Amino acid sequence: MLISFLIWLQNLEPFSDLRSSAYVYPVVLALHLSAISLFGAMIVATDLRLLGWAFEKGSIAEVIGRLRWTKRIGFILAATCGFLLFSSKAEEYYYNPFFRTKILLFMLVAVHTLVFRKSVYGNPAELDREPESPARAKLAAGLSLFLWLSILCAGRYVGYVEGRAGMHFK
Amino acid sequence: MLIENPLSTSPTIFPILECIHIAGFALSIGMTALVDFRLLGLGFEEQTPAEIARAFDWWMLGGLIVAVFSGLLLFSTDPDMYYLNWSFLIKMACLVLAIAFNYTIHRRAVSLSLSPAAGRLVACISLALWVSVIFGGIFIAVIRPGLT
Repeated sequence: MLISFLIWLQNLEPFSDLRSSAYVYPVVLALHLSAISLFGAMIVATDLRLLGWAFEKGSIAEVIGRLRWTKRIGFILAATCGFLLFSSKAEEYYYNPFFRTKILLFMLVAVHTLVFRKSVYGNPAELDREPESPARAKLAAGLSLFLWLSILCAGRYVGYVEGRAGMHFK
Repeated sequence: MLIENPLSTSPTIFPILECIHIAGFALSIGMTALVDFRLLGLGFEEQTPAEIARAFDWWMLGGLIVAVFSGLLLFSTDPDMYYLNWSFLIKMACLVLAIAFNYTIHRRAVSLSLSPAAGRLVACISLALWVSVIFGGIFIAVIRPGLT
């Protein structure tokens, strides 16, 4: 069921064109990495502030509040490029162990967001009232850095898996 | 006597170095982008561009050092290929320009309060230079083997 959907997806004209294009595919890949660089650092900046390692003159509320929307836009840009890369070889990616790992890590990021929404990200003003960044905020930041760094590495390793035989590319 | 580069004999070390390289440049480029976005009126508002630059300067430099050193190690595995690859040569030119721009005009634009229009121009040049370094890096693998 899922696999037949993925085969249908990868053989849609724009995605099969992307797959066979010598230059558009790397351009999308470079845009994917550019979005990661430009906006991934916003996640790092937020985490560094929560850990108390940078930007201590600015409040936690400012870092979380001001970067929220630019971060979301950046994530959408990186995810759109990622989706294009995936869709052109959807069937192959489905079997790719590193791609599966990456998806699992994204699910963990979603869990992380839900777990820390109330205590950290949803109420930064309360964190600012404490003399030092509290332990729960540091834990959230440390886990966030670990998860996103793992996603970055998993993403690099996706490209190292050899193409499979018997894929239904048209 | 020829000495084998230990990095070339191990199949596992190259991708690990690449991950370190990507993490390093993402950190340094992204930290510069925070300042550029501020100049463009995106993201931070309460702090001046100079304050943001000061807050993340060392992280930017740290990322850059990690990216350059892991890059040198990656280069050492196949120097002939890189040296003859025009995408690599363009990348190096953009990198030198980006670093020079960052520590001269960009730094001055951030510390002097320029007109908003001039600030936006500097931010766009900075972002364009750093993004071209990324494009140059990706296309090394596309135009292989390159020049002869």
